[in-house]
Parts: sequence; structure tokens; C-alpha cells
Amino acid sequence: MSLFARMIAVLTFVGLLSGGFLATVGHLTKDRIALNKQKEIEQAIVSVVPGTQSSKKIYEEEDLAVYGGKDEHGRLLGFAIQASGIGFQDKIIIMLGINPAITQINSLAVLEQTETPGLGARIVDRGSFLQFWENKDCGQPLSLRKPPASSKQDLGPSEINTITGATISSEAVLNTVNVSLARIKELLKEGKLSSEEGDVK
Amino acid sequence: MSNRTISQEYLKGLWEENPVFRQLLGMCPTLAVTNAMINGLAMGLATSFVLIFSSLVVSSIKKLIPSQVRIASYIVIIASFVTIADRFLAAFFPPLSKNLGPYVPLIVVNCIILGRQEAFSSKNTVGRSLTDAVGMSTGFIFALLVLSAIREILGMGTFFGLPVMGVWFKPWVIMVLPAGAFITLGILLGLFLFIEHKTKVRS
Repeated sequence: MSLFARMIAVLTFVGLLSGGFLATVGHLTKDRIALNKQKEIEQAIVSVVPGTQSSKKIYEEEDLAVYGGKDEHGRLLGFAIQASGIGFQDKIIIMLGINPAITQINSLAVLEQTETPGLGARIVDRGSFLQFWENKDCGQPLSLRKPPASSKQDLGPSEINTITGATISSEAVLNTVNVSLARIKELLKEGKLSSEEGDVK
Repeated sequence: MSNRTISQEYLKGLWEENPVFRQLLGMCPTLAVTNAMINGLAMGLATSFVLIFSSLVVSSIKKLIPSQVRIASYIVIIASFVTIADRFLAAFFPPLSKNLGPYVPLIVVNCIILGRQEAFSSKNTVGRSLTDAVGMSTGFIFALLVLSAIREILGMGTFFGLPVMGVWFKPWVIMVLPAGAFITLGILLGLFLFIEHKTKVRS
């Protein structure tokens, strides 16, 4: 065989073989990876809307998904909003739990972030950041307290402590929350957030 | 062809030709993922998997590959194993896969792997290539663990996530940031050169 033909034959063979191999691996792990993602979202919903027995996606658009969390009697306990915004380095994806009337935040969870370890990455830490979001009033847009208040009790009903040294990351989360709260109030007015079975979009 | 004994073939990767400290290869993962020991270990294991299997495949089909297309063939083989490692981590260890982020796919361009294929597996027997790959992997894991242990202990006060420093300890945030990686690596390289110099002078 000429060299030229051998080069083509070898590269084709190597390419085909690894292609086939990868297709098999992809097929074998696909379901598990999807399941992991779904599990993570479900866990986040239960953590931000406590008592949730079943949850359902009731609305979706770019950078925003709304889930309704229901108890065992099918009563709506609250909404879990999955939203994303730009942080210091990359997208931050959060899950925000609010009551059905959209007046109070239950709690906040961070699903994905690539903030600076030790600084911005503390947005995932309950002690330094997430605890301030619990049971906050969200009738009006929330705001950051800077420099941070020394105790949780000193904060206003819709005030959040800034993480010292990570103002940008704190602001990124705050903006994402405020933007998605404004959007979800609009959606509620437009009647797109009904949790009744027939209205599911 | 290499004329070392099999045990020398393995041991050279640990010290004499350590991929990180002596050959200065694979600096991107070395610097980027060593902010915590678990990340360093996972990266080390993923790279080892790719290195060992690529060496195995390359050394067994080395006679079939025309030298004009060898690099392209090596890259395809390496990339396949990297993709397998990446999918495996995402399926079975989702938190780790998240921490390592884009660095797992980047193993494809880790020069340690391509370097070993070109410098060793393409010229040696399957057994020797395998020993060499295992040795280099051990050396790489060793280097990542040393680096990440120093950075994690000083930067977070923990060892594999377990607190080891007392309450008095204030973490040096810089150690988990990129600058801490460069500082630690620089000091370690200097230290290893110093040790080598001393032993050479003595003998």
C-alpha cells in the first residue's frame, strides 16, 4: 500500500474506532448524567420550599424556570425560581424559594458558580451569606448592607449582608434575585403562573 | 529503546524525571486545580487513567501508524480517553466533575500525555510503556498532592476537607487563589533543585 493510502487508512480507522467507542460510552452514561442534574434540581427545590412532596416545572424561559412545590394534599407551598445571572467570572445559577403570594423569600440556594475560591465562592456558604436570605420580605426589591451588619437582627426586612471582599459576587446574586422577582411578579399578573393542572404550560 | 530495568523505568517518574518538578510539563492543571486536595487527587487520577490507557494503545499499535500522521492519531486516542474520563466523572461523581470544571477536557492538551507517547510509548514495548506511564502518573499525583496539601492547609486550614489547624489560624486566602499556586510551585521547584544540587555535590 502506498504511504498516502496507509495514512488515510490509519487515521480513518483510529477515528472510526474511537468514535464508536465514545458513542457507546456516551449512550451508557447519558441517562445517569441527566438523572444527576434532575436530582440536584429536585433537592434544591425541597431545600428552598420546605415540605415539598411533589414539584413541577410551571414556566420556563431563557435564564428563568419556575417550579411549583406542593405538599402531599396537592396544596401549593411556594415557588422555586431557578435563575441565572453573570457573576465575577461566569454564570451563577441560583434557586430561590418564595411563598405563593410572592411576599416572602423562604431561602436561597446556589446551584452553580465559579466564583473565586475563598472569596466570591462564599456565596454558597450558609454562615457567611445564604442565611441572610431566609425569611426576607420581597414586596420591594432587596438591597445589600455594606459594610455588613454584625448581627442578623440588625438587618432590615429586605436587607442582605454583603460578603466582605466579595461585593461583586454578592451584588451578582442580589441582581439575579431582584430581576427574577420582578419577572415572576409580571408573570403572575399575566396569569402564567397558575399551578392548576390544566394551566401547566 | 530504553535500557533501564523495569523498576528503574517506574521510579524515574517519581523523582529523576518527575513530570511536574523535573520536566515542568502539565503546568496548567498543576496550577489550576491544586486549591484543594480532593481536586488535586481527582485530577491526578483522571490524568493517570488517560496516560496509562493512551500509552497502552499507542505502544501496541505503534508499528501501524505512519510517522506523518502519528501526532494526529495520538491526539484522537488521548481525546477519546479524556472524554471517557469526563463522562465517567459527570455520571458517578457529579460534585467532583463540577469542581474540576473545564480542566478535565483540557487533559487532552496536557503535555505530559502527548510527551510520553512521543518520547516513550512510540519507541518502546507495551510492558515498558505501561511501566513508564504508571511511574509518570504516580509522579504527577505525588506532585499534585504535595502542592494541594500546602495550599489547602495554608489557604483553608484543612487537610482533605478536615480541619487541622486550631481556631487561632487565619486562612491565607492568597494560597487558594492563582497567585498562591505560582508561589508554592516556585518555592517547591527551588527546593527540589537545591536538594538535588546538595546530593550531587556530596557524591
